[in-house]
Amino acid sequence: MVLRRAARARSWRPGHTRLAVTALVTLLAMGSAAALAAEPAVEATSDALRASARQAFDHDISPFVMTYCERCHGENKRKGDFTFVNALKDPFAVAYRPLWKLAITKIHAQDMPPEQAEKQPAEHERAVIATWVASLKHLSPRDPGTFVIRRLSKVEYANSLHDLFDVDPQIAKDLPDEIFGAGYTNTISPLLMEEYLLVAGAVLDQVIAPPGAPPTAAQLRLIPALPAARSGTAEAARAIAAQVARRAYRRPPTAGELDVLLKVFALADARGAPFSEAVRLMLKAVLVSPQFLFITPDAPVAAGATIVPLGDHQLAARLSYLLWATMPDDELDRLADAGTLHQPAVLAAQVRRLLADPRARALFDGFGAQWLGIDKLADKAFDERKFPQMTRELRTAMYDEARLLFDSVLRGDRSVRELIDCDYTFLNGPLAAVYGIPDAASGPQLRRVALRDANRGGILAMPAILAMTSFPNRTSPVKRGVWVLEQVLGESTPPPPPNVPPLDKQDPAKVAHLTLRQRTELHRSDAVCASCHKILDPIGFGLENFDAIGRWRTQDEAGGAVDASGELPGDQRFTSPAELKRIIAGRQDDFCRNLTGRLLAYALCRQLEGYDEVVVDQLTAAIANDGYRLQSLVMAVVTSYPFLNRRLAD
Amino acid sequence: MRKNWLIDRRTCLKGLGVALALPLLETMGWADPPSGTAWKPPVRLGFMYMPHGVIETAFWPTDPATFLTAPPPAWDALRPLMGQCLALKGIEGVPITGLGGAPHALELSTWLTATLPDVHRRDTIHIAISADQIAANHIGANTALPSLELATMPQNHKENQEGLNENYYSHCSFSSSTQPVPAETSPANAFKRLFTSRPLTAAALGRGATAGDDLDRSMLDLVLGGAKDLRGGLSGGDQRKLDEYLEGIRTLERRVAALERQQQTAAARAAAAADGSASATIHVDIPEGKPKLSEYMRVMGDLIVLAFQTDTTRVATLIGSTPNGISYPELGFTDEHHSLTHHNFDPVKVDKLTKINQFNIAQFAHIVTRMHELREGDGTLLDHSIMMWGSGLEDGNKHARKNLPAIIAGKGGGTIRPGRFVPDCQGNQGDLVSSLLVAAGIPLEKPIGIGTKFLTQLG
Repeated sequence: MVLRRAARARSWRPGHTRLAVTALVTLLAMGSAAALAAEPAVEATSDALRASARQAFDHDISPFVMTYCERCHGENKRKGDFTFVNALKDPFAVAYRPLWKLAITKIHAQDMPPEQAEKQPAEHERAVIATWVASLKHLSPRDPGTFVIRRLSKVEYANSLHDLFDVDPQIAKDLPDEIFGAGYTNTISPLLMEEYLLVAGAVLDQVIAPPGAPPTAAQLRLIPALPAARSGTAEAARAIAAQVARRAYRRPPTAGELDVLLKVFALADARGAPFSEAVRLMLKAVLVSPQFLFITPDAPVAAGATIVPLGDHQLAARLSYLLWATMPDDELDRLADAGTLHQPAVLAAQVRRLLADPRARALFDGFGAQWLGIDKLADKAFDERKFPQMTRELRTAMYDEARLLFDSVLRGDRSVRELIDCDYTFLNGPLAAVYGIPDAASGPQLRRVALRDANRGGILAMPAILAMTSFPNRTSPVKRGVWVLEQVLGESTPPPPPNVPPLDKQDPAKVAHLTLRQRTELHRSDAVCASCHKILDPIGFGLENFDAIGRWRTQDEAGGAVDASGELPGDQRFTSPAELKRIIAGRQDDFCRNLTGRLLAYALCRQLEGYDEVVVDQLTAAIANDGYRLQSLVMAVVTSYPFLNRRLAD
Repeated sequence: MRKNWLIDRRTCLKGLGVALALPLLETMGWADPPSGTAWKPPVRLGFMYMPHGVIETAFWPTDPATFLTAPPPAWDALRPLMGQCLALKGIEGVPITGLGGAPHALELSTWLTATLPDVHRRDTIHIAISADQIAANHIGANTALPSLELATMPQNHKENQEGLNENYYSHCSFSSSTQPVPAETSPANAFKRLFTSRPLTAAALGRGATAGDDLDRSMLDLVLGGAKDLRGGLSGGDQRKLDEYLEGIRTLERRVAALERQQQTAAARAAAAADGSASATIHVDIPEGKPKLSEYMRVMGDLIVLAFQTDTTRVATLIGSTPNGISYPELGFTDEHHSLTHHNFDPVKVDKLTKINQFNIAQFAHIVTRMHELREGDGTLLDHSIMMWGSGLEDGNKHARKNLPAIIAGKGGGTIRPGRFVPDCQGNQGDLVSSLLVAAGIPLEKPIGIGTKFLTQLG
């Protein structure tokens, strides 16, 4: 399951399904990476929470299900192919987590029990089961999740080739594009295997000059001097193998691994190939070896082990691929060789060093852009007649604007709240025109610009995001509303139920003359639609002052005046994007939790589940206590239990 | 012979320009092992996809009697070829019970698997091998490429529906229950892969003055041995992951072996071309830069035709588009396909959707028309093929899956009897794709996925 609080989609008030985690907050109110090592105390608290959830199950939940659900979803009747029978027997099993979550969504939305059912739970009974489902995470055994050997992503592979042999990362451009982060499949297809072999050949064509041609610079670095005598070739080859494999495998190669490479060298050598050509074949073997293509463990694991810490070399690789999308550099290599990288102080210092390096841009290009949903801005279709200015250059500038804000908050170690609400941004000439402040910047280079208009500043009012959440030819308040709820606040919005009765059946003549806003508001005349749209739509309308590429406007597509006012549940009213932004920014705890969970999922290359939810609670509490600073957030994730440990899959 | 072939092929590719002619393909052989019996063209199997279902009033024929003479509007481009087409109505898609909020994540992934993902392990891929990959394992085993997977959109759309792994959204081919097969989106790369890469040969080793063709192969053997050593020290999950790698290497080796077999039977093919019983190989234009969608889809289609004609592969899939974000500016409007499909019977939207349906079927028509024009053995390439165009939804407005739209073209070497509309098949997607596999000569003990029977209405 995704770490999303499905049940919250229909609510607004923050935290209403959250268990009281005050105890944890107190425990974790230390802020630094090392603080998270306070494990025994955390464990004790978790034990208490587990016991209380168990008690609640016996006291409240089991009777609730037996009273209100069992008749239709029990042993005999399994309406909708849904039964509690197995879940009641083993209520805390991770396998039944989705079932409980689905159940609570239905119960909370008053979809279940159905209206015609005789017995209806009281509101407080519904609330009790909601709280209990939210507490289920505490029943998960402490588990970092599996971390099976992971294939390098396309980007990581390309960057690693660059670091190894100084080739252009574009050399791997023909590899298929793939989903990275949560959802990464980590499989290897014949197509990919073939590409690896071809790319390895192309790389080495650049590195090793053909026999007779003058050696390349990279070749001279690898082979400073040819072995003086034929008898010395194997020895020279072994030295080259040891040097390249150490970096390419991201750990010292074993003697057996070097032997394999030497056998490859001998294969070509025995056919009379020149030394450089035999080395070339050997290097090709390095580049198609699983030790290069996968992040592999440091050493064989002890028999019977189930959860083990990452070895220092595997940790170095995991860290540098997360923050830099490339292999560890010399300093990380050295610390891993010394076996000290895992020490909290050393690790924290390395995280700060990596984040300060220009290569940390990879964190935005990999994670940030995906999270904000702007990674495909370059390819998105726009109506060229309406928006002729959406050139490649302007799209790049829009993307860079978001990247530079993220970078600025990260480097300045500022609060994540600044990502939503701030009084500056980064503009170049064309982008300043989109903002309607042409004097603010000129030329192609983006620079920091102070903003006077409170409606601007922050990701909600940023052209890249406003454009990505629009249709090619017009805005979509619903898409924007969904984006804010899901990407910013971490709530899940169920897709619209199929076969919604056409709105215009109500009164076609009348509907035809409605504005987009009025038409959209019809959602709320239907109870099924209203539960989501009463939150989605106001947010989307609050951003209607921005057109489909993020320009300010006071008239919508149809020529009507934009009405950006609205109300969110809990009596929160706004009349402008600026006021809407402030309301959203006020939910910094939800925002922080969402961002933390997403980064953790990205770092682990899987969706979060079970114990991960407890981890995210702990991390969020610690980050909040440290002023919601973005570096602290990254630090918390890379020093978290699931990042530093792994469960061995059986 | 083999060396010359190699050199010629590479020479040919040096001239890779805008237009690609393949004169040398005439010397390529059928992959069937020589047996002394009369040569018979193999059956090819192709699948082409459009998301979001169809406008049913424009797609479904109304009457078997007028099927040939008055085809439905969406079929417009197939008008000259109605006699080669079979329409089957009454094929139910995979019910998505328990995952009702993921209509679009499941339309493509259930299409050829006829299987619902494992709801308990939804965050990773757990589905079933797809029909095209079953075919690849059988009729593809002897060709240079067991199967060809093409798409016109990258498969990295990240949209989480019902907590399902995002890869369900944009993949139709699965080589096992856990492995999605990526599709090639670049025509130039697809061409290279089909006709130039002989990765385990001198071509990949380069500069083979002193080295034999088999050096890379021997190198890979050594790497494979090293990988097995590594495997010994790993835990169970890691070992299984490494097994995928080992299988990848073995697949490459099988591919080379298939190429070698293909050489041995070059004569049969050359003779067929010489006596005029087979057409010359077609020309494929690889567009430069970013082509219009119609050109893009057409060149992908051409590559499939060429791959089939040269027997480089016998199984192909073409994902015309995935459910996210596609729009059709060349039809004169930029609305996204998906948002149009929730049309609520707005006549303007319905009209645009009909045009989108026509556009996609026209690209399919382009493929089957070319195949129909190519002589081969006792008939045409299309006669020896089974081509299916379809969608994983019946209707995007209501996300219905009761009557999945499908067009079957070709005779499958005599197993399919086209030129008909069967109005009530009373089958499901598992029945349909299983029956197509059997028609292509693939032995199946029982239907795949949700299938319960083999359809009797194909022949």
